[in-house]
Amino acid sequence: MKRKLFVASTMAAALTGCAKVTNSLAGWDALNPVLDSVNPLDHALIGTRGSAKLYKPSDVTVDYPVNSLDTPHQAEYLAFLEDNFATYRLPITGLVDHPQTFTLRQLRALTTLDEITRHDCVEGWSVVGAWRGVALGSLLKLVRPKPQARYVIMYSYDHDGDGTQFYGSLDLTQAAHPQTMLALDLNGKPIDAAHGAPVRLRIPTQLGYKSTKWIRNIELAADFTHVFGGQGGYWEDQGYAWYAGI
Amino acid sequence: MEVTAGSVSPRTETHEDTPGQVVHRHSVTVRLTHWAAFLAIVVLTMSGLQIFNAAPYLDASDINNPAHRVLSLDGDQATGTAVGTTTIFGHTFTTTHVLGYTDDGMGGETVRGFPGWITFPGYQDLAAGRRWHFFFAWMFVLAGLVYFIVGFARGELQLLILRPSDLPKLWPMQAYYLHLRKEKPEHGKYNPLQKAGYTAMLFLLAPFVVLTGLALAPGFDAIANPLIWLLGGRQFARTWHFVSMLALIGFFCGHVFLVVSTGFINNMRSMTLGTYRLGPHEGTGP
Repeated sequence: MKRKLFVASTMAAALTGCAKVTNSLAGWDALNPVLDSVNPLDHALIGTRGSAKLYKPSDVTVDYPVNSLDTPHQAEYLAFLEDNFATYRLPITGLVDHPQTFTLRQLRALTTLDEITRHDCVEGWSVVGAWRGVALGSLLKLVRPKPQARYVIMYSYDHDGDGTQFYGSLDLTQAAHPQTMLALDLNGKPIDAAHGAPVRLRIPTQLGYKSTKWIRNIELAADFTHVFGGQGGYWEDQGYAWYAGI
Repeated sequence: MEVTAGSVSPRTETHEDTPGQVVHRHSVTVRLTHWAAFLAIVVLTMSGLQIFNAAPYLDASDINNPAHRVLSLDGDQATGTAVGTTTIFGHTFTTTHVLGYTDDGMGGETVRGFPGWITFPGYQDLAAGRRWHFFFAWMFVLAGLVYFIVGFARGELQLLILRPSDLPKLWPMQAYYLHLRKEKPEHGKYNPLQKAGYTAMLFLLAPFVVLTGLALAPGFDAIANPLIWLLGGRQFARTWHFVSMLALIGFFCGHVFLVVSTGFINNMRSMTLGTYRLGPHEGTGP
């Protein structure tokens, strides 16, 4: 019996030791630049090519899940819920020749994309939604990016529990991909608050964390290192890769 | 390579080698890529289980569908007594403290799929798991490419490939190992069973594990829609990736068993220092 206990506790100690080693390796921040050195290879290998699969209306997931982020609860966002987004405006500014502010009516008038695509969450699950909205590329043509513009940075109305603003970014190639859209409708209805109302990004060629919800304004910039954590997005600042085609 | 009697440095294996002779078995390239791949497989498996834990279930369908659930690790600690369960093809087993409700990698227990001692890192951190997984995926692929290119160029790899002429030799070899046959069949550097195992590993399993991993990348899906269809869809690809990991672990276990049972020191010497002492009936042609 004693021997059994000894074997069990030795094994337990060995197993705990295993987690200690992997925990300290993963917590060793100096290694991150080395590990992240393959991210440009992922980007170069897979990149932004081809088209995400298009699904049939019968494939649409009935209860489209809501994940990780709470619906914004700041006063200015709650006011939109009161007036049904009548006062919502979407400014597109930064390194553009023709900065513009769009109303929802204007965005609806520009709507051309109507696609049933799969949402791949970084956690490993997937769902299918019918999305309708404006091709981001067509909006960029209207505001005319300057030659030095390389990234489209989207700022959200949402903040996390610590008050950090949610945001995300794409490069111009990803933004101009014909399936990348500023979505207004999900499954035949205007997007509800939980799913990112009134305007959210949908980029089916990348993981879900790139699809910024509750977009407040869009900025074109030469780089994103000056924005918040400097990694190009809220999730990127938490350690996820900027290129999320993988 | 001509070597005179009494030569100090071991010679490369030829079909004129005699039993008991010490030969140079594995090149530096083979030894380095072998250990790089080993390290990569360890980290890929552990970080892969970390990634799996973020959605601890597998479906045999394109989109998640509980009706096609193959595996699910669940836990419940709300009711006072914590319970962990594993459900395989609809059959549920209680696996408290092992799977579903288990070691959180920080000295406690919590609801999670695989335990902290087998995930990388031990605590739940999907971003870190992905970061390590993708780096070592590149190490695995690069080690494989170097091994294939150099191995083919030097003709080393050709000795390892199972050929149609090896097929009739498979059973006699197996019969010998099962003690159904007294005499060991003659073979070259690798016996027919080794050839079958390594050919399956190098040309089927390793490419399959890489391909099914890539199939989980939405950017890759956009390029290779038909491949995802062939695998049965996106979530099915995730299941195949998991199954190919299990097959790799299976290969690994068999490999280690054989390494230990056929002369551990001699085998380890050949894969570290490169030299190997031929056993009886060994080294008589490819």
